[in-house]
Amino acid sequence: MQSDADKRFARMQKATALHLAMEGEETLQHLTEFSDNPKAMDYFYDLFRNLYKNGHKLPTDKKVIGTMCLQVPDELIYAAGAVPMRMCSGAYAYEQVGAEFMPAKSCPVVKATTGMLHVNQALWGEAVASVVLPTTCDQKKKCGEMLKEMGYPVYILEMPSSKDSEGARFYWQESIKKFTLDLQKITGNKITSGKLQTVIADMAECSRLFRKLNDLRKSKTPLIFGKDIFLVTSAYFIDEMASWRQAVRQLIEELEVWRQNDIAITNRQAPRMLLTGSPPIFPNLKVPILVEQAGGIIVADEVCSSNRLLHDAVAYDEANLNDMAAALADRYLKPCTCPCLTPNTDRNRKLAELVKSHAVEGVIYQAFSGCLPYEMEQKQISNTLSKAGVPMLYLETDYSSEDLGQLSTRVEAFIESIKARRRKK
Amino acid sequence: MHYFAGIDIGSTTIKIVLTDAGDRIVAQDCQPTGCHFHKNTLTAFESLLARAELTRHDVAYIFSTGYGRKLFKEADESISEISANAMGANKAAEKYGTIKTIINIGGQDLKVIGLDEDGHVKNFTMNDKCAAGTGRFLEMTARNLEMDVAQLGACHKQARGVPLTINSTCTVFAESEIIGLLANGNGKEELVAGVHYSIARRISRLAKRVGIEGTVFFDGGPALNEGLVEALEIELMRKVVVPEFPQTTTALGAALIARETFCYLGEAVND
Amino acid sequence: MGEIMGNFRRAINNTSLSRFRFYFQAASFLLLIYGGYLALNLGDQLPTFACIFSEPRGGSCYLFGLQHQMTTPWTSYLSGRGIGLLVGFLTFIAFFIVFNKAWCGFACPLGTIQDWLTALRARFKIRYANYAEPTFQRLKKIKYILLALLILIPMAIGNSFFGLPKLNHDFGVPFCMICPGRTILPLFSGDFSQLALDLSSKSKMILTALGLMVTGIFLSGSFIKKRFFCLFCPMSAFHYIFANAALLRLSKDAGKCSRCGNCYRACDVGIRAIADDLQHKNIVKDDCMLCGKCVEMCPEEGCLQVKFLGLPIYQSTAEGFFKRMQGRNNAK
Repeated sequence: MQSDADKRFARMQKATALHLAMEGEETLQHLTEFSDNPKAMDYFYDLFRNLYKNGHKLPTDKKVIGTMCLQVPDELIYAAGAVPMRMCSGAYAYEQVGAEFMPAKSCPVVKATTGMLHVNQALWGEAVASVVLPTTCDQKKKCGEMLKEMGYPVYILEMPSSKDSEGARFYWQESIKKFTLDLQKITGNKITSGKLQTVIADMAECSRLFRKLNDLRKSKTPLIFGKDIFLVTSAYFIDEMASWRQAVRQLIEELEVWRQNDIAITNRQAPRMLLTGSPPIFPNLKVPILVEQAGGIIVADEVCSSNRLLHDAVAYDEANLNDMAAALADRYLKPCTCPCLTPNTDRNRKLAELVKSHAVEGVIYQAFSGCLPYEMEQKQISNTLSKAGVPMLYLETDYSSEDLGQLSTRVEAFIESIKARRRKK
Repeated sequence: MHYFAGIDIGSTTIKIVLTDAGDRIVAQDCQPTGCHFHKNTLTAFESLLARAELTRHDVAYIFSTGYGRKLFKEADESISEISANAMGANKAAEKYGTIKTIINIGGQDLKVIGLDEDGHVKNFTMNDKCAAGTGRFLEMTARNLEMDVAQLGACHKQARGVPLTINSTCTVFAESEIIGLLANGNGKEELVAGVHYSIARRISRLAKRVGIEGTVFFDGGPALNEGLVEALEIELMRKVVVPEFPQTTTALGAALIARETFCYLGEAVND
Repeated sequence: MGEIMGNFRRAINNTSLSRFRFYFQAASFLLLIYGGYLALNLGDQLPTFACIFSEPRGGSCYLFGLQHQMTTPWTSYLSGRGIGLLVGFLTFIAFFIVFNKAWCGFACPLGTIQDWLTALRARFKIRYANYAEPTFQRLKKIKYILLALLILIPMAIGNSFFGLPKLNHDFGVPFCMICPGRTILPLFSGDFSQLALDLSSKSKMILTALGLMVTGIFLSGSFIKKRFFCLFCPMSAFHYIFANAALLRLSKDAGKCSRCGNCYRACDVGIRAIADDLQHKNIVKDDCMLCGKCVEMCPEEGCLQVKFLGLPIYQSTAEGFFKRMQGRNNAK
């Protein structure tokens, strides 16, 4: 006999699956309605087309270790014979599930992630060996407690809230070393220095490819839309590493040909934009799509679902586990510009450098309502940018599409003002 | 002679301005948007042309703006109301000298636009999803007091006592608050003044985010309300100028941009 | 033409500087220890620890000469001895100015021995030790104290400080007596005599005993800690006085730095400023030996550069970084 609660839960699962499929399809429609998308993007369109089609299935048969933020070294998880999967979700359908039991003011990423794990628990429960939660922002931390309550094996990866001191660095290195040991218990597999070295090299290849892709965005002739880049990096959350690399390699090859033949994806005069702030994660690519529909092109980004995720690479000095674990720890903390860290002046510097290297004309600052750290850093970033003479548009938004009309007016006005500014020059 | 049209399709009113090649206003009009806004826009446009003794053929370029800009396919191009507003305000404010800040109240939105030395948009801010403090708020007040929106200004001027405090910024909640205040025997005039001050205060909070500079230019339908203008001057602690036709500044801006774009496309503006 | 230069530059930036350094160090070692067989002699004013006690050397360390010259009374500097002092010093400066602290990273035989010990340890997959930052900051001052002492002690032989009695000539080259270079380097040419305890006088006995102790510490210390001895090296301290005038430099473009810390962890001497200093362009610190490992490990385009006379000769690139990292995995 099914209890009423069970029946209700089954109904919720059904409704969520439907909403998810609709949402995914809608986003894909927007993504593909731009003309002449690169052929190699089809791999990514198909990947996401299939993701939500018949219920949201895990992308692998292996043991999955969920990661709640980008500070978890994926290398260690692979070396332990499991597959890492970034749990941060961009789905409004999941956000609605989370909204049932989370405060209305909490950030949509946290709501969606918790909602996703809640509604899929029966489906995924067995396969998810652990959900690793670095102690980043307060909402993620509390969300970890909720997940534990649901019955997920939550692993707390202790992270300092400041990265500048040596004390913080060693504290984090110790956390990572402990994680290395604990992972072996969780998966039952030994992490050897040889395996780890191979995985580090594999992931370095991912970084190398991402950097190549990012370098192509520096080109004066616009070659690829930001909305596609965000899809590629959203795919990195869930895709099998080797096939992701293969697909990115093909994309780079295609774009290289475009570059040599001077083929532009859009108007050559399209204002060059940078997106920073809260992460665009599929299917929530609302803002990037709006910007590019309005005639701009996102040529650079500083978000944890893209540039911050893949730009940096591990460099170990000696190939022993101890040194490699320390190197991993440094890579995931030292260059990190997450606003949960204080001070976070590296973010200002990084933005200033990106503005220079990618010839950025305007910055879109996306802050999800409820994400206080990003909302608060807005001022300092806007000051840095105005010193550099780059205008910034601050958008507070969430996963719903209610504010589309308002957002598009703002984005269009911003792009028009950049064009006017250009005429003035 | 070429003529140019700017059509501002707002949530409440459709504003149309016709200009000639010298950027002079030939004719202008405001009509309610209604529910068939496309048909209404076309009718308004045709009747305005007739009034100016022109035909569609005389209009060289049309720019649409406002919420309905994308849906009016007869326009050659569309532009966001922020850019159009800035453009029109620069022109309308010529006699007041350079302006640095524009405050615009529409049917369902509230905008503060900062301009640079050349009159280009420097930064701007808008109300979020909520319609508090917009034209709707004034309409609701007038409806509850059983008067016309156009009478609110005069009513405000007659207030002898201290304006009443309206606590809710939400249009829906404020309605019940106003009914409550009326039931308690408060005067209409003080209540209207109170409503104006509550809107003015909300605007000044929004304006602080952009940073108010220089003379403040106030447009949009509610700028016709002298009570609101007075409240705004007090809350902003600055001089506020209102153009002769505050409702059509944005449409005027669109018409000016139509002329500019037309010239840019390399066509001769003269016969 | 520009393209050829560009490709040449790219090829250089893609190389493994560490491997080049390994061979260069070995060649320098042979030259400085056995150069005499080929009648090679670079003189006695070298800014590196090629030891005068080792035969048939190809040159020797300036610190021996400097200590020796300090032993005479101050008044004698006004005569011909002063000219000798000046010429010696200028020769030293001339050698140093060109290569800066690369003398430590590429030529110093004691440094090379430490690197070999490190390679040996790494082969056994034994973990290395590191100082905590505050300890490092405290210990690094020792080299300046040693530098002061190696000048002041010999001075007390020819002169009297504050009316104190003069020291005897056993203290003529006090640093050499405790330097592991004196005990270890002659071993490579089969000379074991420096390992003996000199019992001829009380002061000699103390100094040679101290020397043997330091040798023991040197060997064990540098096995577990990379470049253990360099942190205390008075030559390194002496270098640093003139480092700002050198032609070879390491410079950093702070705008491009992500502070990822790869350079800091790679640094054998543990200089934190390389990662965290965002103020200075010239990033050569007193403990730096210009080995270039930081440049190799930096994944940011042009962030770290080795420059000669202002021209970049080796710089960090993403391409070079990934090539080297991949190369290390393949070599596994």
